[in-house]
Order: sequence, then C-alpha cells, then structure tokens
Amino acid sequence: MVFDVFFLQQVINGLSIGCVYALMAIGFTLIFGVLNVVNFAHGEVYTIGAFVGLMVITAMAPPLLAVVPLVLAVGAVSGVGLERIAFRPFRRFTDEASQKSRAMREATLLSSLAVSIVTREIMMHIFGGDMQGIPSGYLLQQPVAIGPVMVASGSLVIFATSAVMLGALQFLLYRTQTGLGIRAVSNNQLGARYVGINTDRTIVTTFAVGSMLGATAGILVGLYDGAISPHMGFAPGVKAFVAMVMGGLSSIPGAVACALLLGVSESIATEFLSSGWKDLITYSLLVITLVFFPQGLFGHGRERA
Amino acid sequence: MDVNVPDARLMPDTLAPPAAFSGRGRRFAWTLLLLAVAFGAVPAAIVGTGSSYLAQIAITTMIFVILSASLNHVTGTAGLLSIGHAAFYGIGAYAAALLSTRLGLPFIVTLPAAGLIAALFGFLVALPTMRLVSIYFAVATLGIGEMIYVVLLNWVDVTRGPMGIRGIPPIELFGWQADTLLSRYLAVAVIAVACVWVLHRLTHSYYGNALRALREDDQCADSMGINVERLKIESFVVATFFAGIAGALLAHTSAYIAPDNFRFMESILILAMVVVGGLGSLPGAVVGALFMIVLPEALRDIGDYRMIAVGATMFLSILLLPKGMLAEGTALGFVRRSFSRGWATIAGGTPVGWK
Repeated sequence: MVFDVFFLQQVINGLSIGCVYALMAIGFTLIFGVLNVVNFAHGEVYTIGAFVGLMVITAMAPPLLAVVPLVLAVGAVSGVGLERIAFRPFRRFTDEASQKSRAMREATLLSSLAVSIVTREIMMHIFGGDMQGIPSGYLLQQPVAIGPVMVASGSLVIFATSAVMLGALQFLLYRTQTGLGIRAVSNNQLGARYVGINTDRTIVTTFAVGSMLGATAGILVGLYDGAISPHMGFAPGVKAFVAMVMGGLSSIPGAVACALLLGVSESIATEFLSSGWKDLITYSLLVITLVFFPQGLFGHGRERA
Repeated sequence: MDVNVPDARLMPDTLAPPAAFSGRGRRFAWTLLLLAVAFGAVPAAIVGTGSSYLAQIAITTMIFVILSASLNHVTGTAGLLSIGHAAFYGIGAYAAALLSTRLGLPFIVTLPAAGLIAALFGFLVALPTMRLVSIYFAVATLGIGEMIYVVLLNWVDVTRGPMGIRGIPPIELFGWQADTLLSRYLAVAVIAVACVWVLHRLTHSYYGNALRALREDDQCADSMGINVERLKIESFVVATFFAGIAGALLAHTSAYIAPDNFRFMESILILAMVVVGGLGSLPGAVVGALFMIVLPEALRDIGDYRMIAVGATMFLSILLLPKGMLAEGTALGFVRRSFSRGWATIAGGTPVGWK
C-alpha cells in the first residue's frame, strides 16, 4: 500500500513534468507545421519566460495571477522577434529550387540555433551562469493532501494552467479564423496563399502562440523547481522536440500524449535507476517508437515531395 | 543544389581545359598548394613561433576537418541529417583510449580499431533507423547520440564517468614517437589528409552521384535501380568510421578525454561547420571546419563576448550565404577542374559524369 501511494505520487510528479514538456512540444509542433523547420531557439523562449517572470516578481512583487499574463505577453513578443530575426530573412528566396533545397532548410535550422546561442550568451552576461533562486513567497512547493497522496501545489498549478492553455489553443485552432489560417498554412503553404491567406502574418501568429506556451512553461517550472539558470531551456527543449517527433510531427494530441508519456516514464525511472541513467529511458522510448512507428505514433503516411 | 535546375557553373563547355597538358598542370596546382600549406606553411609557423597554442589549434582543426568532411558525406551528399555525429567521435575516442590504456595496444592498432568500432556501432544504429526519413532520422540520431553520451557518463566501471580517462599514450609508430608538438601535428595532418582524400574519391565519382540521387529523391532513385537501403547504410557507416578515426586522434593527441567532449552541442558544432561551408560540398566542409575553429580563437581577445560573436558570425554567414561559403554546385565544378580528371565523354564528345 505504501508503495502504491508513493508510486501514485511519482506518476503525478511525472505528469506535471510531462505537462511542461507538452506545452513546449505544442510550440514545436505548431511552428514545424507552418514552416517545416525545427525551431532550435524554442528552449530560449522558455528561459526568457522564466527570467522575465523572476524579474517582475523581484521588482514589483505582484500577485501570481498577474505574472502569467505578463509572461504570456513577453513570450509572444519574443516569438515574433525570433521569427523576424531567424526565420523571415530565409523566406526571401521564393523560387522553387530554393524552397525545395535541403541546404536552405538546414540553413534556417542553424540560423535559429545561432540566434539561440547568442540569446543564451547574452542572458549569461546579464544574469550570470549560476542558478538564481525564486523568492520563497512565490514557490509552489507546499504539499497538498489529496486523500493519502501528497502533491506539491506546483503540480496542481501546472495541471490547471496546462488545461486552460490547451483549451484555449483548441478554441483558437478550431473556432477562429486565425486558427483556420494556421491549419491551412500547415496543410499546404502555397495552397493557403492561393486562397488569399496572408501566410507571413499567419506564421508570425503561430510563432507568437507557440512562444506564449513555451514562456509559460518556463515560469511554471521556475516556480515549481525554485531555481532558474540561462541553461535551463536546453533539456526540456530536447525532450519536447523528441515528444513532437514521437507524436508524429504534425499531431498536437500526439505530441501531448508523448510528452506526458516521457514525463511519467522519467519520473518512474528515477525510482529504479540512479538519476544519471534516466535520460536513457527517454531516448530508448524514442528509438523504440521510431523503429516500430517510423512516422511517429500519430503521424500520417509519407507524402511525395 | 537542385538537380532539376541546370546550373550554369556546372556546364562542361565553360570548364573544359583548353589542352590536356595545361589541364594537368592546373589539376596539380591546387593539390600542391594545399599540401604545401598543410605540410609546409603550418609546420613552419609552428616551428617559427614555437607556440604550443598554435600547434594545438592546428591539431584541433585537422581533427575537425575529418569530422566535418565525414558528416558532410552522410548529411550533405547522402542527405541523411545526422545530429549525433559527436557520439561516434566519442566512441572512437573511448575505444582508442581504453585499448591503449587498459590493453596497452600500440597506435597502429588502436587507430583502425577505433574507426572500426565506431563503424560497427554506426552499422548497428543504421540497420533499424534507415527506413526513417527526413527529420525522423535526425531525431533518431539525436536520441542515439544522447544515449551514447549517457552511457559514457554513467558507466563508471569502464569509462570512469565524468572523471574521464587520463594518461593516454601519444601517437607512436614502430618506435617513432610523436612527442613534440610538431611531430604530433604532422602525424594528425597526414591522417586527416588521407581521410579527406578517401572521402573525396568516394564523393566525386559515380558512387557519389548515386548518393546525391538518393538525397534528392530516394523513392525515385530506388525506382531507377539504385539500392537505396544499402547506400544509406554504407554512407552512414563510412561517416561513423571517420568520426571514430577522429576520436582516436583526439584521444592520442590530448591524452585526456571526458564525456563532455562528445555532447549534443559538439554534434551541432560539426553540423554548423558543414552548413556554413556548404552542405554537400567537400571543400566547403574543410573550409567550414577551419572557419569555425579558427574564428573563436581569433576572437579570444574579446574574452567573455566571444561566444556571442561566434553565434552572430555564424548567423550572418548563414544569412548572407545560405548555401554555404562554397556552395555544392560551385564546389563540384572546382573539384572537377582542380582535383579530378574532369568529365568523361560519350559518343560525339558530349561530357557526362566522372572520369
């Protein structure tokens, strides 16, 4: 019985980590959908979210509910800026040869990486490379008892925020004109342009939405873990990227499911293995999934280019 | 380069050398120049300045030339985006380090053994992942690269974990020991030049054409009778073999290796070299490696802002030259003129393919 309660707690912890991965993975999925390029700077948006949250908290000590909209706004702005700097210049080549060229696609991928390196180094200069503590009044670590299970309040906040954001995203994608545009551009960028969708604006919107999710994930993790650093975005970024691919690249439900799966399996794995080996579980899951489902769990069959 | 678009720079008539003799002369000019730089100018500079720092950079550059050229073979020429290349570099380095420190094997054994062990791992990785396409393959290599890193870091009994392996003997060959910096550089340079030459012969040939065909469209290449599966596996194994060789050179020249030398960011650095130099272009890969190693060192004076400058330069070079410093089309023409025998001809003297 003791084991069962403990096990359940681990599952809940894992689900909250998984929700964070899911929020980031959705950003990856949305951006990959419209551009067909992996955004390597997504982890930096997450870090920016955490640091801006910390700055606001230390400077003004606002209530927690006021921090979230602010972080959302910062996320949106950084997403738009990122698109402007790292992605838009590479869309100046509109001829077919360039668009199909692998060199161009890899160049875009690396430009996002270069921007992420510069951003991270600048943050290192401003904030220093060490861990920064979050003021204890804002920490979300109070244990809450739900029956026999003790859950950190941060887990509950993460669950609630993720649920709200997923609901909002679902509404945006399936009930609004903007969402229709995003889905159309993901489906076929050229076709979307032919029917009169402003693809550039749609891409910018997608970056804003994806980065809002990423930045929120950043500040939530900061409050939950109690410490943030300029390097914090790397590991969850890679995990979210893995979750996106396991889910099949273009499927948001797939990305969310795989992110939760990764979070839970990591959390359970720490019970049986020393923490150094836990990443092995994540990547084994990835490789096994890809061996048996080469298009990811929820992916479509291969299209002819 | 897109095969559907005729590239004026590739059109043979503008390149055909006027006479066989001058063509021959030109052909050797570049080869001689490069050899003179690698074995004349750089050693002279090392001896002249007596600077161990310079020698160290020259050695690192040579090692990264091998890595970048081998990644270009699989990612640029065969079109399989691999972002776990550093892991195979790590396998080679650990194989060489363990074979020489634990078993006391000489360099002449550990060097090929490191390459073969890395290639064996590459083969095992390639078997299940080769049916993955595009980004799925990239992520699989990322995952496998991280798995290898985790094993290197945590399997303390064998790899000594984060402490790394110390006291790896320097390069020695039949009693000749590369114990001075100059001889160490020369040994590495000879091996690097040999590796690049092999990759050059593989890439700039009909075999290379087949790899480029499967990059552009593997389904189409398959239907034309190219054994796509096999070529993909071969190119991956070749690339991992050379990564292993580079690892062995690192182990024997630096005498100390730790898992952090072989992390994800290292793979990305190698990929950046290939892309900055020009994806699919072997001369570009060499230039990219030089650029990405020498640039941070040249910027050492600005200290803390160095990485910002490196990132910014990388961004600018990709922005201004998205196809690389030496784009594939240009590079193929250049190689044909300067390093190979030009065009083969069919009836009527129409130049096609490789001679």
